[in-house]
Amino acid sequence: MEPFVRRSHLIVPALDETQVEASWTHDADAVVLDLTDAVPDMDKPRARDVLKMAIPIAARGGAEVFVHINRALAYADIAAAVQPGLKGIVVTGTENAADVEAIDTTLVAFEKKRGLMHGSLYIIIMLDSGKGLWQIREIVNASPRICSIGLDEGNLCRHMGIVPNAAFDPFVYAKGRLIIESRAAKRQPIGISHPYGLFPQFDDAEAIHTLVLKGKNTGFAGVMCSHPAWVEPCHRAFTPTEERLEFYRETRRLFAKGIAMGTAAIPYPGTTMMIDVPVDERARITLELYDRYAARDAEKAATVKRARASGF
Amino acid sequence: MARRVRRSSLTMPINTPRFVERSWTRNCDYLNFDFEDSVPQSQKPYARTLVAKAIKHGQMGGADINLRINCSYPEADVPAAVLPGLMQINFPKAETAAQMRHLDRLITEAERVQGIRPGTVRIGANIETTLGVANSYEIASASPRIDAFAGGTGYDMSMDMGVEMFVGFDQFVYNRGEGALVAMALGLEYTGSVYMPDTTGNVGNAELTRQRAEANRQVGLRAGSGLHPNTVEPQNIGLTPTPEEVEDAKRVLAFFEQIDEQGEVEGNLDGRLVDKYEAARAAELIEWSEACAKKDALKAKCQARARELEAQGS
Repeated sequence: MEPFVRRSHLIVPALDETQVEASWTHDADAVVLDLTDAVPDMDKPRARDVLKMAIPIAARGGAEVFVHINRALAYADIAAAVQPGLKGIVVTGTENAADVEAIDTTLVAFEKKRGLMHGSLYIIIMLDSGKGLWQIREIVNASPRICSIGLDEGNLCRHMGIVPNAAFDPFVYAKGRLIIESRAAKRQPIGISHPYGLFPQFDDAEAIHTLVLKGKNTGFAGVMCSHPAWVEPCHRAFTPTEERLEFYRETRRLFAKGIAMGTAAIPYPGTTMMIDVPVDERARITLELYDRYAARDAEKAATVKRARASGF
Repeated sequence: MARRVRRSSLTMPINTPRFVERSWTRNCDYLNFDFEDSVPQSQKPYARTLVAKAIKHGQMGGADINLRINCSYPEADVPAAVLPGLMQINFPKAETAAQMRHLDRLITEAERVQGIRPGTVRIGANIETTLGVANSYEIASASPRIDAFAGGTGYDMSMDMGVEMFVGFDQFVYNRGEGALVAMALGLEYTGSVYMPDTTGNVGNAELTRQRAEANRQVGLRAGSGLHPNTVEPQNIGLTPTPEEVEDAKRVLAFFEQIDEQGEVEGNLDGRLVDKYEAARAAELIEWSEACAKKDALKAKCQARARELEAQGS
């Protein structure tokens, strides 16, 4: 899979016209048009019809567009969602490889039907059961389309009989397992630190930043953003600070100098830190990641500029 | 097998003579000579020629000798590393059982060639990637040469998880748990450590090392490691039971034997409950303290002889 930058996935109910109309203006890396819990059953057909208009709107600012389908209604939802401009689908509730294979097969059929490149559509998996979490290894490896995996913490609570409490995180093990298994399979784990996975708040950008950063430092690589206010602090949390960047650049300079002198263990001046291969490697990876973030941000900014110029 | 005492160690590049030649003076329980990340690529072949000398220097201090090889070319490293006197090969970035079985075969062949009793050389599987954590059980059970195991922490691990190292909370909590469960399920020694907040990354912080060692001792963890000489004594001391603890354990044991003879399963010793679990804990503490004392005596004897030789100028 090509490396991608998807720090923020902004969730927008497909039937909320105002939110859909504004979805491209929030600078999100990805927009997720939701057909699931925000849409009552009787309105699902109308929500599917809206996608034809909504997908291009959501993409107007350069965001990658996903549609969150209902697993039980996967065929009809995918049939409505698959069109040029769609990056992939989000699905909640898979419990084994066969569940994923069923989705994959439907995507194959509609890629063919709509003239899209075979295998071009991605799948984001949201797990919401003990069974799904236990079978995570077969689930993440069930399709090469799977790019990211997260927890639907609210439904996981319901399925496990947990009464959520902001004072403690019921999913330390679940998140640890998700992060280790996703990254071991070279997929991106997504999530935010407790309590915002269960009790999201939207008014305090610093609090959002703190919990995204904490999530990043437990291993998450992106966030499902339940509100546009999450996007900016989310991007800020995933972007290394200028101070860290300078530290990493200096690390690389010192290590290169050490190697030239025949040693691969170099002290970092003013500290008791030693720079060896993994420390240098980490610096390289972080600087490359930063470059990819900067390129993605520039790409989105240019797309927004073009949209504004053409009258939006 | 006698219980291994590995409270303290230093990991050092095998190609830096000033570290290796003084390694015996550091009073480490074991030494970890490195072929891997602290040795530049251009020096790897040279590093392979230095093992016999390093073993000799290290053993002058009574330390067990470990050697960390490169995961990418065990075929080149193992025959160079397995020499008489080597206790253990550490395999970094272990990710699969197949790697461990391959390593086991290479060691078996090297033992045969060197005339070392089969099965002497242990394997340490270092878990440093997410795939390694995910495959912990199959890795730890892949070779009988593996007698100890722990979960993945450290720089490589943090890199693979995309997390910063020193954030003030335990980013590796799941990895530690997985490592501990696997070690216990397979009857291996768990060589992990309790988490203590550290936001500096100072590898020579003696005070923090001492606190961590004591906390480890109190929860029954017995193994240490290190990169800086400042951390050796704090671990030697912190992981060794105090005389008071040993006295107390002896009292508990004597008391339990007494109630056991009377056919009781539990009794009250100065207001605290003593049962077979408490007795087992006390017995383990005494056994551990004796093993530490034996190791300390061995190190003292070796170092005294080495100093004498040094004084004679040889």
